[in-house]
Amino acid sequence: MAKQVLNFTVNDEPAEVLVQPWDTLLDALRERMGLTGPKEGCGTGDCGACTVHVDEKPVASCLLLAMQARGHSVRTIEGLGKPGALHPLQDAFVRHGVPQCGFCIPGVIMAAAALLAENPHPTEEEIRYGIAGNLCRCTGYTKMLAAITEAAGAPVGRRS
Amino acid sequence: MRRFELVLPGSLDECVKALAQAPADSKLLAGGTDLLPQLKNGLLKPACVIDLSGIPRLRSIEAGNGQGLRVGSAVTARTLELDRAVRANYLSLAESGALVGSVQVRNLATLGGNICNAAPSADMAPPLLALDAEAVITGPKGERRVPIAAFFTGVRRTVLAPDELLVELAIPNPGSHSGGSYLRHTPRRELDIAVVGVASQLTLANGRCAKARIALAAVAPVPVRATAAEQALEGQAVTPDLIKRAADLAVEAARPISDQRGSADFRRHLVRVLTRRTLTTALARAGA
Amino acid sequence: MSTVMKTTRDVKGIGLSIPRPDGPDKVTGQVQYVADLNPRGLLHAKLLRSPHAHAKIVRIDVSRARALPGVRAVLTAADIPVLKKKAPTRAHAVLAIDRVVFAGQPVAAVAADEPAIAEEALDLIDVQYEVLPVAADPLESMKPGAPPVAELGTEADTSEAQAHGSVAGVTTEVKSSKAVNISQQARLQRGDVAKAFAESDVVIENTYRVPMVHQGYLEPHAVLAQWDTAGNLTLWASTQGSFNTRSEVADVLELPENRIKVIPMECGGGFGGKIRALCEPITAVLARATNRPVRYVMTRREELEAGMPAPQVIIKLKTGVKRDGTLMALEAEAILESGAFSGAVLAVAGVFLASLYLWPHFDVKGFEVLTHKPSIAAYRAPVAPQTIFAIDSQMEQIARKLGVDPVEFRLRHLQREGDKMANNQPWLSNGGVEVLTRLAEHPFWKKRAEWKASAKDGKLRGTGLSLGGWLGGLQPTGATVRLNPDGTLQVLTGQVDIAGTNIALAQIAATAYGVDIDKVKITTGDTDVAPLTGLSAGSKTTYTVGVAVMQAAQNARNQTLEIAAKELEASVHDLEIDGDRVVVRGVPDKGVTLASIGKKGNLYMSKVEPVLGASHPAFSVQAPAFCGQLARIEVDPDTGEVTLHNFVVVQDVGKAINPAQIEGQMQGGAVQSLGMALTEALMYDDKARLTNPSLLDYRKLTAADLPNIETIIVEKPAPHGPFGARGVGEPPIVPAPAAIANAIEDATGVRLTHLPLSPERIALAIASAS
Repeated sequence: MAKQVLNFTVNDEPAEVLVQPWDTLLDALRERMGLTGPKEGCGTGDCGACTVHVDEKPVASCLLLAMQARGHSVRTIEGLGKPGALHPLQDAFVRHGVPQCGFCIPGVIMAAAALLAENPHPTEEEIRYGIAGNLCRCTGYTKMLAAITEAAGAPVGRRS
Repeated sequence: MRRFELVLPGSLDECVKALAQAPADSKLLAGGTDLLPQLKNGLLKPACVIDLSGIPRLRSIEAGNGQGLRVGSAVTARTLELDRAVRANYLSLAESGALVGSVQVRNLATLGGNICNAAPSADMAPPLLALDAEAVITGPKGERRVPIAAFFTGVRRTVLAPDELLVELAIPNPGSHSGGSYLRHTPRRELDIAVVGVASQLTLANGRCAKARIALAAVAPVPVRATAAEQALEGQAVTPDLIKRAADLAVEAARPISDQRGSADFRRHLVRVLTRRTLTTALARAGA
Repeated sequence: MSTVMKTTRDVKGIGLSIPRPDGPDKVTGQVQYVADLNPRGLLHAKLLRSPHAHAKIVRIDVSRARALPGVRAVLTAADIPVLKKKAPTRAHAVLAIDRVVFAGQPVAAVAADEPAIAEEALDLIDVQYEVLPVAADPLESMKPGAPPVAELGTEADTSEAQAHGSVAGVTTEVKSSKAVNISQQARLQRGDVAKAFAESDVVIENTYRVPMVHQGYLEPHAVLAQWDTAGNLTLWASTQGSFNTRSEVADVLELPENRIKVIPMECGGGFGGKIRALCEPITAVLARATNRPVRYVMTRREELEAGMPAPQVIIKLKTGVKRDGTLMALEAEAILESGAFSGAVLAVAGVFLASLYLWPHFDVKGFEVLTHKPSIAAYRAPVAPQTIFAIDSQMEQIARKLGVDPVEFRLRHLQREGDKMANNQPWLSNGGVEVLTRLAEHPFWKKRAEWKASAKDGKLRGTGLSLGGWLGGLQPTGATVRLNPDGTLQVLTGQVDIAGTNIALAQIAATAYGVDIDKVKITTGDTDVAPLTGLSAGSKTTYTVGVAVMQAAQNARNQTLEIAAKELEASVHDLEIDGDRVVVRGVPDKGVTLASIGKKGNLYMSKVEPVLGASHPAFSVQAPAFCGQLARIEVDPDTGEVTLHNFVVVQDVGKAINPAQIEGQMQGGAVQSLGMALTEALMYDDKARLTNPSLLDYRKLTAADLPNIETIIVEKPAPHGPFGARGVGEPPIVPAPAAIANAIEDATGVRLTHLPLSPERIALAIASAS
């Protein structure tokens, strides 16, 4: 069982990395490439902390083998914005005081970024479903909703 | 996860060959949303895993003019949820795709995976049963077709031989006077698994029910049709009272167990409620 | 203490919603949690866990595992001489010696080059078990003759109660002779209960049940251990208290504390579940055995099967009142199921049951019962949500039965400052009345009849509220505040910041010293360098560490002014800090910069002492904090599904140091409370095996299940809190179960007493009622 060569694009740059056949995409990003922004909260796709984009779609990177990303384009939180040059979502999350423990935050932001890319002006309901795959235990989601709504440029509304 | 060999076929032929050569406990990997948790928990310890993601044919959807729908086994739940052709005539299937996991999971989870994993709670099974789908299977001896109702043989068991794979689902067009609906009950709105799922499909002719299909998930070892309820509807004008009676009859098709997701009593109760609701919606859609 | 509290100009400090400085690192994935560390030579640990809840270990054969290439160590209890059979805590039970007492208990440990190899090594360990009878249900387990859980003679663990510092004056006794699994008992009595019941007009009896629930922090337990050649151990830990982790590991491994350095990494949530040591000792032992850095990260399945959840709480409650609403008597039996090791906060239940509302006659019995399940730990306001669920549900039912306004009824009997608690301690200053009054003024409460009447399409609508709280935690702590040579301030504590407490502490330092927040940097130091401090738990970080930081900053300010007074030849009392200078009041051009004072404290041959403010207070006065919650819901009577339309949280925070961070606490706590109310439960079969060991089946609420959580802050200053602040973490997790149960009754007429208030329970109760 030799390591395999994974060729793909990560955060807009071509990458070639040796992975084990049983490495998940999350393992490869974190352990082989040092991209530790995506987190493992459950390993079974039930928490969303590992969310990255594959070909611009949000996926649970703990449920994908690394080699299944061959030839595809992957974006992690590290490829969204940087301190000093934050993505609008990241900026809104900071200003609204969203992060507490912070463990879920990279996954939530990646899910929200995918939602806004597909649907630039989502309703409150659409935002709620857009991040429903991301469990957060600290915030109760309310400030997340406000931050995402603001980043989308839509007025903050209530569900009636 | 324990170690295994990973094979990456680039075509259906390569895959069939790889499968024939691989050890008997090898596993086919599609979206991974069911398989990887089982590998991680040590429930499965295969020596070899064959990845289907490099086979374009398995990801295609074809909706010929009036010829019905052919959905590749590696088409994702998210694609079913959003695809125009699926939504146009096979809405219950789109609805079931929309309910799986979360968007991160739906972008991975596949129709074939949901069916071949053969969990009693598989969301996509009831719509396929209600739509009279056929499973197209290939192997070293060539292709064969199996009605979806005969595809499941038990909890996590199917008719697939170890050297076979599911290529696609062929679904006849139910026609313009037909409507379908899939509902399930879960304690949460997303990121959950069906306590009970019900798909109904009603086809009308001259104001009467020409054909009725009701299929249930998570109330028996395999997805089942509620045939007595279907028969009560066929040939009749579908009224609220008749729907109520059909819902009562559907309960008789359920043989639920009690487990951590729900008691047998609650499951029977839900079959009645969800059958009534899906039939009501299916009727409205058939008439629209 | 001598203080110079007054500043002549407003500084940017307390009272402002200042974003936390580590926000950008958190939203870009740059902050480092334990599992993100990947040092050279890293080995990966895995634990073999018992599949049985109770079994004798007949034989363990690790030879095949040791022979697997890539495996660096395989250990069993026999390899760890410090382990003792009568393990007083979970931490001490590093590996099972000859008997396992819960499913998921570690039996052997492996360190290997790769996680996959370590897992295969686990498969190669051969354990022969002799399965023993299981105590799976606490009501059965507390009977004489139940299968024993603890080794005979093991002492009860009351350190959790002490750590939370929450309840004084309740005597708990340990063990009764026949019922071997009753590990603690407590009793609180006053008056003549039998007579008072005889004189009561309305007597209501219910049994309330709250299952074991998991704290649900998103980051699983993780630790990295490494030894140096001199025999010093470094632990990179995900902990709520690095000094506590150090003490426990030192105790288990019989090491001097100064040989262990605990570096608290970013903690991905704790909520009480990361107070006690869990996987730190075994990881340290593996690191010593291999002479390599070893990392252990629990899987989510392990977290759920073998973490340290909250106890199951069963409360049998009987109350009697007069027709005019006079409270007469309360009788209660509270059973706390602690799993395999003692450690429940038994007394909290008694105090809340009998003295939140003033019962003249009461008799409350508490039992801690052991079963063959994972042992429990704190979960945000331990035992308060469970207890308030019982007493508040009961108060609501009494009010309904008497036909009186439920808020007026509660307010009539609610404790006030000075009233006697059940343990005969006086209630301290608190905002219980203010919170409940404010909640009842909310339009959603006033318009509850309209809401109920607005139901359509076969749905039912209802409104419910509840009041709960927390008595407040205490623990000694310390902080230093330094003036740097450039005039900036450096605050150092050992306090782990999970929820954003460091920004609040920095704000306190800014205001107390008299400079703007942007001049203040705060650091959480490791156990080698930071002042000794307590846990980030029990709603006491801002309340206690806040005082330490405030005093240290005032101390630094006084030192600064004294140095300036000499330079300016002025009296200290005439000086003030204005921006980055100390000036003589009224003579603005006569001044000296903070930077010059700071610089002189670090100049070669300088005779000016460096400014180093320090404080290390202990505390004796708690600050109870109350939270009221209101739910507007819709129920689908056919499926039992509850839709939360609105949820309001009102909380007394004393003084809001950082309102946005406090709102985050209120919203997050409320959603945990709602999870406990609606969907969460660890479920066990009759062999005490967990049947829902995944986040698919252990259902935490998602964004799609919730409305926005509305927050209303009430400020009733705590006499001893920093600037009047109270703790804010625990109270919001308390009220929702009762608020939702009350709302469900309002909507459907059905009263439910077992959590979670699941669709199944609701639908079947409605079906059987109609």
